[in-house]
Amino acid sequence: MNEFVERLIGLHWAEPKPAYDVVIVGGGGHGLATAYYLATRHGINNVCVLERAYIGGGNSGRNTTVIRANYGIPEAVRFYQHSVDLYQGLEEETERSVMHRAKGLLWLAHSEMGVRAERARAEVNTAFGAKTEFVSAQEVKEICPQIDLSGGGEWPVMGGSHYRAGATARHDRVVWAYAEGAMRCGVHVHQRTAVTGLLKDGDRVIGVKTDKGPIAASLVLSAVGGQVTTLASMAGLRLPIRSHPLQAFVTNHYGLEFDPIVASADLLFYASQTARGEMLMGAEIDRQPSYSYRSGHPFIQSCALRAMTLLPFLRNLKILRQWTGVCDMSPDYSPIMGFTGVDGFAITTGWGTWGFKGIPAGGEQMALLIASGEVPELIAPFALDRFARDRTLADRGSAGTH
Amino acid sequence: MSVRLHCPNCGDRPLEEFLHGEIPTVPSTIEDPDARDLDRAFMHSNIEGLTTERWFHAFGCRRWLTVVRDTRTDEVRGS
Amino acid sequence: MSEERVAASVDILVDGQRVPLSSTATPEPLLVGLLREGLHPTGGGCLCMAGDCSHCLATVDGVSYVRTCQVLANPGMVVERNHFAGAHPPLIPEAEPPTVRELPAQHQWCDVAVIGQGTSGRAETARLRELGRHVVTLDAGAGQEVAGIYAGPTVVVRTQEATLTVHVREEIVVATGAAEIQPVALGTELSGLMTARACAAFHEAGLDLGSVVAVGEPPAGVEARSLKGRLRRCEGTSCVTAVVMLQDDGTEARHLCDTVSFGLGLHPRTALVRMGHDLPVRAIGDCALPSKIPLPPIEGTVCACSGVRVSDLDFVWNNGFHELELVKRATLAGTGTCQGSACLPHIRSFLEAKGKELQSPFTARPLTRQLTFQEVAAGAHHHATPRTPLHEEHLALGAHMQRSGGWWRPWDYGDVAAERIAVREAVSLGDVSTLGKFLIQGHDALEFLELVYPTKVATLADGRSRYALLLNERGYVLDDGLICREHAERFFLTLTSAGSTLGELWLRDWAESRKFDIAILNQTQSLAAINVTGPKAAELMVRAGARSLPSFATHGASKIAGVECRVLRLSFTGEISYELHHAAVDSVRLWRRLLELGGDLGARPHGLDALMRLRLEKGHIAVGQDTDFDSTPRRIAHEWAVKLDKAEFIGKFAVERTNRQPLDRELVGLEMELPAPLEGAPVWHDESYVGYVTSSTDSSVLGKAVLLAWVDLVGGQVPPVVTVGGRDSRRLAQRATLPFFDAAGERARAKVSVRTLRAQLDAKAGAEADVPSHARSDVESDAQSDAESEVVRMQRATDISGRFAGLEATRLAGAPEVLDEALSSLELPIEGFALRFAPDEVMVTTDVATVQTAVRAALSSAAFNTLMIERETGFAATWLEPSEALALLSQGCAWELPSERPAFAQGAAWEIPVKLWFEHHRVLFIVPAPYAADLDRRMFAGAPSASAGATQ
Repeated sequence: MNEFVERLIGLHWAEPKPAYDVVIVGGGGHGLATAYYLATRHGINNVCVLERAYIGGGNSGRNTTVIRANYGIPEAVRFYQHSVDLYQGLEEETERSVMHRAKGLLWLAHSEMGVRAERARAEVNTAFGAKTEFVSAQEVKEICPQIDLSGGGEWPVMGGSHYRAGATARHDRVVWAYAEGAMRCGVHVHQRTAVTGLLKDGDRVIGVKTDKGPIAASLVLSAVGGQVTTLASMAGLRLPIRSHPLQAFVTNHYGLEFDPIVASADLLFYASQTARGEMLMGAEIDRQPSYSYRSGHPFIQSCALRAMTLLPFLRNLKILRQWTGVCDMSPDYSPIMGFTGVDGFAITTGWGTWGFKGIPAGGEQMALLIASGEVPELIAPFALDRFARDRTLADRGSAGTH
Repeated sequence: MSVRLHCPNCGDRPLEEFLHGEIPTVPSTIEDPDARDLDRAFMHSNIEGLTTERWFHAFGCRRWLTVVRDTRTDEVRGS
Repeated sequence: MSEERVAASVDILVDGQRVPLSSTATPEPLLVGLLREGLHPTGGGCLCMAGDCSHCLATVDGVSYVRTCQVLANPGMVVERNHFAGAHPPLIPEAEPPTVRELPAQHQWCDVAVIGQGTSGRAETARLRELGRHVVTLDAGAGQEVAGIYAGPTVVVRTQEATLTVHVREEIVVATGAAEIQPVALGTELSGLMTARACAAFHEAGLDLGSVVAVGEPPAGVEARSLKGRLRRCEGTSCVTAVVMLQDDGTEARHLCDTVSFGLGLHPRTALVRMGHDLPVRAIGDCALPSKIPLPPIEGTVCACSGVRVSDLDFVWNNGFHELELVKRATLAGTGTCQGSACLPHIRSFLEAKGKELQSPFTARPLTRQLTFQEVAAGAHHHATPRTPLHEEHLALGAHMQRSGGWWRPWDYGDVAAERIAVREAVSLGDVSTLGKFLIQGHDALEFLELVYPTKVATLADGRSRYALLLNERGYVLDDGLICREHAERFFLTLTSAGSTLGELWLRDWAESRKFDIAILNQTQSLAAINVTGPKAAELMVRAGARSLPSFATHGASKIAGVECRVLRLSFTGEISYELHHAAVDSVRLWRRLLELGGDLGARPHGLDALMRLRLEKGHIAVGQDTDFDSTPRRIAHEWAVKLDKAEFIGKFAVERTNRQPLDRELVGLEMELPAPLEGAPVWHDESYVGYVTSSTDSSVLGKAVLLAWVDLVGGQVPPVVTVGGRDSRRLAQRATLPFFDAAGERARAKVSVRTLRAQLDAKAGAEADVPSHARSDVESDAQSDAESEVVRMQRATDISGRFAGLEATRLAGAPEVLDEALSSLELPIEGFALRFAPDEVMVTTDVATVQTAVRAALSSAAFNTLMIERETGFAATWLEPSEALALLSQGCAWELPSERPAFAQGAAWEIPVKLWFEHHRVLFIVPAPYAADLDRRMFAGAPSASAGATQ
């Protein structure tokens, strides 16, 4: 009766060993995808993933599941478009259902300046493989009839950009597909195992200390979300990261009638309908750096207003639940991937509010980096030392909220 | 979480009335001047625990106040 | 439809059919009314009559997921059984629902909130009240549905009248009681099943339950056969006809029945308690009891909301999903409407049996009772977009208003080409009131500015102005604007429109942290600014009464068209430009007079579109459009604006540090054939992407398209030729030196002789019989303004909006102790009062001349000279009766108001910065005039602001 019960994925748990070639800290999408690609692409399976709670329990299980590549700079467009492509083939790759659906993404403009920005976005995106078109207000209405073009009289829609490959997928299924795939190749995943410190030989990292005992490693990869500063400081590493809460909420289940993903940079919110029929809403990060997961009333009040302004049919829908994730924000709204300057310690962080869409490409590229010992071209721009080299990846307005 | 900050000029006001300002602290272990400047410009202590920080009361007196907040619970411990 | 309703006043509509309500005097729960007519809302499932399960859901008056046991049946109610047999209601109903009343927001303060008014709740409430605590009680039975406990702590509740936020000073007491455990077995989706308490309630309501059997504790007051053993299954096709029990000896016993009552024990309703962890929340009564964990379920539906069976739990367990959260996600059990209320005890029991460990319940999140978007959004408002004093003038002139840089601005007045021509060939007015404006005064003013700006401020002489960049500690451009020096201890700064709040917090932060002896006055809203620009600008200024005009890069005070102005001469457009900064209240008058005086010169206004194109012809950057997050001065070729030989300024080390890196890209000028490419268009060198266009315009004066673009260096330099456009539509562009137009800047810097212009004007006036009243009328208007009365002027000609009128006041800024002394010297007129915005800033509702005279007399000249005393006309205000004021504030204000009188308070209300002055018999609402129109509309909902909709 319930078609959503996950019938296929089998998770296999093993006893921890005292040493592995690679220890990945963080059992979210990025950590598990990296383990998966290490095992399947490079034959490196003497790997373990350590997760302090349950896999996918962090941001990978809390995000609003948007997959897109419509950013403003080529480095980002290339990277995310590659991830979009990997997502499209993920079910075939892992032989598991992740409920992936390409539904198109509308990014709305409410002013001349907004129109300018969306035209620019369409240009850059298309030039780098993420086909995006500028659309008029009338075309917006054709794609999404439920939009009130007058924006409640206050925020009229003047057009927008339409990225057809925009998609959603069930976030925890993505995590499990990668986890199972890695496990099938012999990778170990240990839940309820918290890393309490790093094993060091001088400045070099040679393993981790956990609440279940030490584990040695030739390489430790930090793939944690929400506590990366703590882990990095164990390695003596300073990061340009501030962690902020990001909230979201969901309605009850309704008939499947809402096709696209709709976002508004001016109104700072976005909406989509899940495969189960819930309307899923998100907005911007909380202003204070914080590790608190408490949901807030001002957030849901404000986000509900903005959503209704654009999509009046939401008025009478019942809101079911709200929750929060803690996002690691980088100064230039781009991730940080690669080596750290500390021997034996690599990092994938700074995934802010844009991490879910980057899971496949992030995992694939980090696996390539670890296996080859070299920085792959696709992720070279995201190196940690870009701040020191004055090579930041300013992508104004595109990171938006997701 | 304390949803209110105590502004010394205005009284208790909701957090939404304020803009956040970090007080950068460069670790003394970093000695090279360039490295110190880079750290101050980009790096964050991002403390999980008690943090001293500043808030600007944009909707009220438009002055800064300093608070100590526990970032694990968002409880404001003092000012 | 309404006729039908009137005629059948005791009917409701169910699935389109009229259904009579019971004739009892008191309204009864809708569920009871439906069951009485044999209309089970969902077709089956164990009903609880307590709001815990999801078996009584229906769509009521257009809103789905309504628990019919929690609402009273009302005549005329429209019910649709959209949840029948597990269906999902439509996302967008076909018909417009009957209008659902919009709930307003409400705020209430108390010492203690008690949630739940059962026995324990009532007793605790009485006890607390006896101790003198102010207690607010919230009870679902009284129609007060708690959506959640939030930080504060606050409790958000939907009542019949409002979405209420209860702000709690001391603690929240949760007395929500316990829910009855639901049965899990085959057949529990049949109708005729209910909990013991529900059974008792239905019986008392007079429903015919037929033959009743009881599993577990029997229902109070109901004749029922108690069954022995453990529930095996229920049987029937849609209604239950029999119950099969598993006996102790392993055999099954079948019992025929019409109704099955389940008394399987209680599990405490702890959601709010868990939600309130690490907040002052206390549980009492049944909800504080330990959970009863039922026996592990064997078969049947565990989670009715999501349709999850025991076999599904088995399946995921066997596939390695052992954590409660993983089981929940893999089966979706507990993620439906009841949020685990019905199924959590069974899931925990199941997992305990499998894993030998009782896992903690899921995290409790809002909302415990579900609200609609409309209900949740009550009290929320969009960011208000401020408007300049000339907003209505722009509309009257046919402007298309646009949001830009956080303000409403005129984009164009219908003919951009004509506006550009007016600037280049005649004279044009631009509204630049949105500029950030700051007065800096004090002993350390110069030292402070030397720190904050990368330019050598010391070389700026009295009366001179200079364009300057503002850098952050990363060495990136934060903002730009003018520094105008009046004397060594007094400066006037301008910043971009988008920068005024960030600019203020930046300036104040540095002033405070280095403890500079200065005061900062934000005059962004206090002063409007009109840019008079064009070759005939000086002529227009002279016609308007200017006796002298500042030369290029200087500034001075002048009376223009009877209005006191600070006149700045620099140029953004590339033509002679006078930026007139003047009191906001005088702006309409000044604007109209200038247009009138300049009529025959071809004077017309120009909008933002024209302005951006004109400045582009001059190669001027627009911060935020041409600059990025990481634009160093070197990248934007503005190293001339940065003096690295200064000892210190913010960003200095970073600039030096980044200068040591090879330059990677530069913002450069490009020119190409018309038409101009889109802003944002990619720039290519051969097949490589090397950048993008930030600003682009066609230029008729130049006969080509001119652009600013980011271009990467190739082989150490910017390529002289590139192509611009999408992959398939690229055209050649050449590197061009800036500025594109009037390279020597002769037009902008043209010398002006006021004497000559005045002589021409006088000659013209003398020659013509029909003396245009231009010159004389300005002299007349001078006299008029001087003669105005000195009492608080609340009803000036320029009514701001609706009930708000402009406020004539004075702002003083300086050291707190000097302000204290100054205030004590003021004998405020009976209507006036002093509002202390901050220790170093006060606003007095008395005109500036009076204040200056009084303060000058009271203080030593040394002390007097440290103060800024400036006319303030940037606020609007309205008086309200206290009852109306407090009623409105209880809707729009989320902080506690002062109780003493008189009292001053400031903060956000309706998401707009508001200042309040409370007297015994009236309350003054003060708002920055740019927000008055929005506040008026939000407070007095229904008065639509004329300009809001005029954006097309």
